[in-house]
Amino acid sequence: ATLCFQAFLQMCNLPIQVVCRANAEYMSPSGKVPFIHVGNQVVSELGPIVQFVKAKGHSLSDGLDEVQKAEMKAYMELVNNMLLTAELYLQWCDDVTVEEITHPRYGSPYPWPLNRILSYQKQWEVRRKMKAIGWAGKTLEQVLEDVDQCCQALSQRLGTQPYFFNKQ
Amino acid sequence: SLEPLPMGGPDFGALGEEAELVEVEPETKQEILENKDVVVQHVHFDGLGRTKDDIIMYEISDVFKAKNLIDVMRKSHEAREKLLRLGIFRQVEVLIDTCQGDDALPNGLDVTFEVTELRRLTGSYNTMVGNNEGSMVLGLKFPNLFGRAEKVTFQFSYGTKETSYGLSFFKPQPGNIERNLSVNVYKVTGQFPWSSLRETDRGISTEFNFPIWKTNHTLKWEGVWRELGCLARTASFSVREESGHSLKSSVSHAMVIDSRNSSILPRRGALLKINQELAGYTGGDVSFLKEDFEFQLNKQLIWDSVFSASLWGGMLVPIGDKPSISFNCMFYLGGPTSVRGFSMYSIGPQSEGDYLGGEAYWAGGLHLYTPLPFRPGRGGFGDLFRTHFFLNAGNLCNLNYGDGPRAHLQKLAEYIRWSYGAGIVLRLGNIARLELNYCFPMGVQSGDRICDGVQFGAGIRFL
Repeated sequence: ATLCFQAFLQMCNLPIQVVCRANAEYMSPSGKVPFIHVGNQVVSELGPIVQFVKAKGHSLSDGLDEVQKAEMKAYMELVNNMLLTAELYLQWCDDVTVEEITHPRYGSPYPWPLNRILSYQKQWEVRRKMKAIGWAGKTLEQVLEDVDQCCQALSQRLGTQPYFFNKQ
Repeated sequence: SLEPLPMGGPDFGALGEEAELVEVEPETKQEILENKDVVVQHVHFDGLGRTKDDIIMYEISDVFKAKNLIDVMRKSHEAREKLLRLGIFRQVEVLIDTCQGDDALPNGLDVTFEVTELRRLTGSYNTMVGNNEGSMVLGLKFPNLFGRAEKVTFQFSYGTKETSYGLSFFKPQPGNIERNLSVNVYKVTGQFPWSSLRETDRGISTEFNFPIWKTNHTLKWEGVWRELGCLARTASFSVREESGHSLKSSVSHAMVIDSRNSSILPRRGALLKINQELAGYTGGDVSFLKEDFEFQLNKQLIWDSVFSASLWGGMLVPIGDKPSISFNCMFYLGGPTSVRGFSMYSIGPQSEGDYLGGEAYWAGGLHLYTPLPFRPGRGGFGDLFRTHFFLNAGNLCNLNYGDGPRAHLQKLAEYIRWSYGAGIVLRLGNIARLELNYCFPMGVQSGDRICDGVQFGAGIRFL
């Protein structure tokens, strides 16, 4: 998600500085990364940031008409729902990945025993969310299939054009 | 920073703050008794249940050494006080009688202690109303758990905003209740509106208390998982940066010498408390060395008035290359319990209205306490009130550790905040004190928040 921000802000030609912090999740007013700190204001999550940037006069979607804007929204929702959730599933619900990669990485800025406590807390939280959206019952193969379908839909939309919408 | 819910150490059963030993004035009749030699042959105990014998024997060993009747009475009284101090008996009665039986000597005495043990489990339930929050506090106590004055206490506070709980185990050394060990496990939450911060601490601590000559020492290891969060969306970015989790593991030592006759509104005596804390060498990700001290001197003057002087100070030195120490370890200054005339903890470095605390501080106060004018309610309710005139001063700043101590002293001596005023103090039992003052804050620097005029304060520890 952070990469897409960097891409967005760079495409708007806005100068940015990326800082990595272990407690970024807790610094954000809504609890989600990434967030931007501009002057006195702190704005988090993609939607509000795009709106904030738009309010300041920069936008990438000015040239689009209503139909295209709606399409763009639909595709963004697809990406969010499908790919992001699949990423979370892989990170936190697949036992092998959890043990070998996620736990050490998530807990790395903290000393023992805090690293174990915090990663278990996060895992429990993500699994609860998966249960709520009905993904808890899916196996790894099903998830990978879903991701595959999503990527196919996106590449169909892209076709042979260099960008999804317009020439920017 | 937050303190775990107060558990209290040894329970001081029947002792009031003015308790003194019974002074027996020998009259002519009793002089004869004093010259009569006696021997204490037996000491009986009635009413012991789960209490073990060895812990009792330490407390009453002196009774056997008494040589005459007045001595027996005095030593029995002392033993009674010691037994009550253990916190395992609800009541102790002493009976002295001549010895009966086959092996009775003509001058033999029997001393009988009739005791009532505390129940195995006592509970308490309170409701508390505080700053915009109401809470229900449930307490459970298991006194004398295994028979040697061990105590387990559990306290649970359920509030409209926050929940806290704590479990504590206390074990004294048999024969010497001043030497004791306690282990606490707790979760405490608190809100600090002056820094737009909320903090949740979950921790374990082990504490060992022991006296050396006239001083009391405490050695403590503490491991705390701290979670900081912003209290409002308008919190400054410096505060926002500190949100998140951290682990502090620290070892600390405290020394207390207290010769005052009371901790609230003392009339005479002095207090010296020196505390140091070293964090980071036993784990955790916070590293610092913290020193602070507290000094108070009281002297009684003519017409029932008391003059009191106090001085507080402290310094925090971060260790290692991790640059920032989060706010909950810093010192704060200002408020009705510290430099009066300023808002709560609202002196010193700040960012957009949130006070960040400082690495070094000092604060001093001079007070004159007098009885209320015209002494209304004398001998009763009126004695709980006192008028006081005060002069407070202090300073709080961050230090650049590259400069030497001279530069530090200079920095602490610039921009001193001070205030003076007068007010009324009400003493609440032996624990707390309420104050209503009229203050004139002076030496105010930009960024400080003042409370000139009427200021109300309630608490345990006042400058």
